Amino acid sequence: MSYGRFLLKRGLQGIVVVWGVVTIVFMLRFITPGNAVDAVAPLDASPELRERIAEELGLDQPLYVQYLDYLWELLNGDMGYSYISGIEASSMVFSKLPATVELAVASSIIAIGLSIPLGVISATRRHEPADYAATTFSLVGISTPNFWLGIMLILLLSVQFGIFPTSGRAFGFVQAFRITANQGLGAGADAFYQWLRFITLPAVTLGTYFTALITRLTRSGMLEELGQSYVRATRAKGLPESLVRYKHALRNTLIPVITVLGLQLGTLIGGAVITESVFSWPGLGTTLINAINARDWPILQATLVVIGTGFVIVNLVVDAIYAYLDPQVVAE
Amino acid sequence: MSHKDSPDVSRRKFLGFAGAATATAVAGCGGNGGTDTDTDEPGGDGTDEPTDTPSDGTPTERPEPETRDGYLQRANRIAHEQAPWVFLNRQYSVYGKSDDIEWQARADEFIDAYAISPATDSGDDVVINQSQMDSGLDPQDHRATPTDNIVMQAYEKLLDRDREGGIVDSLAEDYSRQEEGLVRFQIRDGVSFHSGDNLTPEDVAYSINRIVDPDTGIASPQQDQLAGVTGAEVVDGERAVDVMSDGLNPIVFSLFASYGPIVNKSWIQSNENSYVNQHMDGTGPFVLETYEQGVQVVFNRNDNYWKEAAEISSLTIESASESSTRVNSLLSDESDIIVNVPPQEVSRVEENDGSSIAAAPSTRVIFSAMRYDVEPFDSPEFRQAVNYAIDLESIVQNVLSTFGDQTAQPTLDGYFGFNEDLDPYPYDPEEAEALVEESGYAGVEVELHTPVGRYLNDVQIAQAVAGYLDDLENVTASVNQRDFQALASEVTDGDIETNPHWYLLGWGNTTFDASQTLIPLLTSDGVLTSWSNEEFDRVVEEAQSMPSEQ
Repeated sequence: MSYGRFLLKRGLQGIVVVWGVVTIVFMLRFITPGNAVDAVAPLDASPELRERIAEELGLDQPLYVQYLDYLWELLNGDMGYSYISGIEASSMVFSKLPATVELAVASSIIAIGLSIPLGVISATRRHEPADYAATTFSLVGISTPNFWLGIMLILLLSVQFGIFPTSGRAFGFVQAFRITANQGLGAGADAFYQWLRFITLPAVTLGTYFTALITRLTRSGMLEELGQSYVRATRAKGLPESLVRYKHALRNTLIPVITVLGLQLGTLIGGAVITESVFSWPGLGTTLINAINARDWPILQATLVVIGTGFVIVNLVVDAIYAYLDPQVVAE
Repeated sequence: MSHKDSPDVSRRKFLGFAGAATATAVAGCGGNGGTDTDTDEPGGDGTDEPTDTPSDGTPTERPEPETRDGYLQRANRIAHEQAPWVFLNRQYSVYGKSDDIEWQARADEFIDAYAISPATDSGDDVVINQSQMDSGLDPQDHRATPTDNIVMQAYEKLLDRDREGGIVDSLAEDYSRQEEGLVRFQIRDGVSFHSGDNLTPEDVAYSINRIVDPDTGIASPQQDQLAGVTGAEVVDGERAVDVMSDGLNPIVFSLFASYGPIVNKSWIQSNENSYVNQHMDGTGPFVLETYEQGVQVVFNRNDNYWKEAAEISSLTIESASESSTRVNSLLSDESDIIVNVPPQEVSRVEENDGSSIAAAPSTRVIFSAMRYDVEPFDSPEFRQAVNYAIDLESIVQNVLSTFGDQTAQPTLDGYFGFNEDLDPYPYDPEEAEALVEESGYAGVEVELHTPVGRYLNDVQIAQAVAGYLDDLENVTASVNQRDFQALASEVTDGDIETNPHWYLLGWGNTTFDASQTLIPLLTSDGVLTSWSNEEFDRVVEEAQSMPSEQ
């Protein structure tokens, strides 16, 4: 199979998955308790008012008509309007997306910056105190629930010591850049400082599990690579140990690590819901929680479709890169 | 066999404009309130007093009331005696407050930033942290307390409420009833919108029509709040507006004290709805500075306000859905007022230097309704038995950490029509068991449906109620935890037969008038009714045929 056909096949599979996501998300409305009219209408609304609301929302149509309308509008980029605020769902969701992506990227940077050195140290100093410390950290990191860690960090570093703010988001990264461009370096430095203060705790909270996971992956990958015959050969050739470890063993270890990194980025975007809620981070997660609480189905559906589609796209990109780096994947 | 309630459910006409004004109600929101007349002396007309006091337990004879207040009090007495509900508690609004400011919570749950005074230098810029942000800034295109807390800092109504819920003047400096179905508001002079336009009677008439008439601009969800109001028009040659109602509309002034924000006609007409939803042009004490939908709203003081300018310079409103996040923001001096502090967080706020709890009785009553048309709740004796079986004082003390008041009737203390002669049912398990025997339903099993997380400790209250009832030797009781929307769907579909037999709900009556609880929840044709009683219906109907301002 050629690389082009491989990509085409993966793309078509991705479209089917997105269609499945859209269909399941649409059906959620009908399999969860309560109905959309009850979420919108006052509780003492007359039957006439309920009928009018159902008509306005198109809920008086047969299910298949609603479904086909929904698909058609989605294909035309129309995700509907919020039942509660009347705001266009797509504009609301896409306006929240940068905050979530920013948080996911920041937590990934923390995770990558910590986990790979930790994994390497752990593997190269096996059964030494550094190894025990790294494996203990990764075990605790994987076992600690996000919401608990977030609350503990707030209590300790915000409430007790006042180092970080408890919640919210002062600026976006792009906004901080704009401030620098428009108002000079002094204002820009302050904007980046504020950005950093607000994003640190949520990013650490969201990134801890990720850090622990990659640390373990790097450690086991390094151990496996260091036992390979080509490593013995390079050592026999007299290469310095640092070159053996970092140029040969680590590079090979990073191939599966990069795959997991890509996949986890998609998971982070969807999995930021709890972290965003704990820190009142104004992203997709908070939007999703608010939409669920208000039974605001257009916003709920738009958020889930965007998260699901994002996950599929990230997977496609990872597949494409992986297949490019390792042609055996295409052949298989 | 027991006495059964009369099953006449099909003849009421007077509910046409009633009931709807309370719509924020079970939805979990609060609101404003007040009455058309002072209620300093509930029961003061004496019309609910019995003519004699027989000692053998036979029903007492009472003369026919002469006033609307008297009829509403009588209706509350009938409800108390017939016990269509298990009377539970009045919910409290519990806030956390920084010591940097001076502020007192209001009965109607509105956080009036105009009433905030700085106590320290850092109290000049106030941050309020609530559980949700707005659903848009159009003051007439929403019906939720979190949105009111934002938009009503910039917009005002014709009348307003004081902290206890009494009616006070606002943009109307005088008001009077002209005839049945017609009232007149004199519009205050010298008031200007934030844009600089002067307030005119045309603005007022347009604002009212924009709410009640879908053809005026938007299909306002507040139409039901101004229940019975059909339109408004400017009075020729006067700085006044006439408001027309369908029928007497006895609580019309109360409605305008709670609802009906006034907008700038020319500003609204010259802008798209989406613009109006993201900007503000009101007459209120705060001017919008920045607005980030769903994230933050910042106001500055309106220095051209028609009253004295606010004491604080700026106001920021943010939100955090997690109560622990709000509490942490208060303890870290990031917020000055936070809403809905749960009982388990109260000690953290109180023990912290620089913060305290501010609590006030809300407009919401928590009750559990018993359907009059199904066994065993068709028996008044059984319903009374349930009330006798529960230790309400203990529930308020232990489940609600004292953030609640016991109730004895559907109407809350301080409301027009509240009957102050009624006391909560005492905790008397022996009397309860005897009444169960008398009802003929000994050995029955009942199930209490309760929403989860909708009201303060709702599940715990339901478990306590069912637990007390289950402790009786001749009744078995359990709790069924339900999704609120699913439960609400059953209760609000207009068909009493789909209601659970026994369910816990909350109702927020923001008009401070008993009728807006009694009519929707307890009259035969009430939208959310669980009961039917001819005498009760008659008394409420009489009340609705009289003006409040007597």
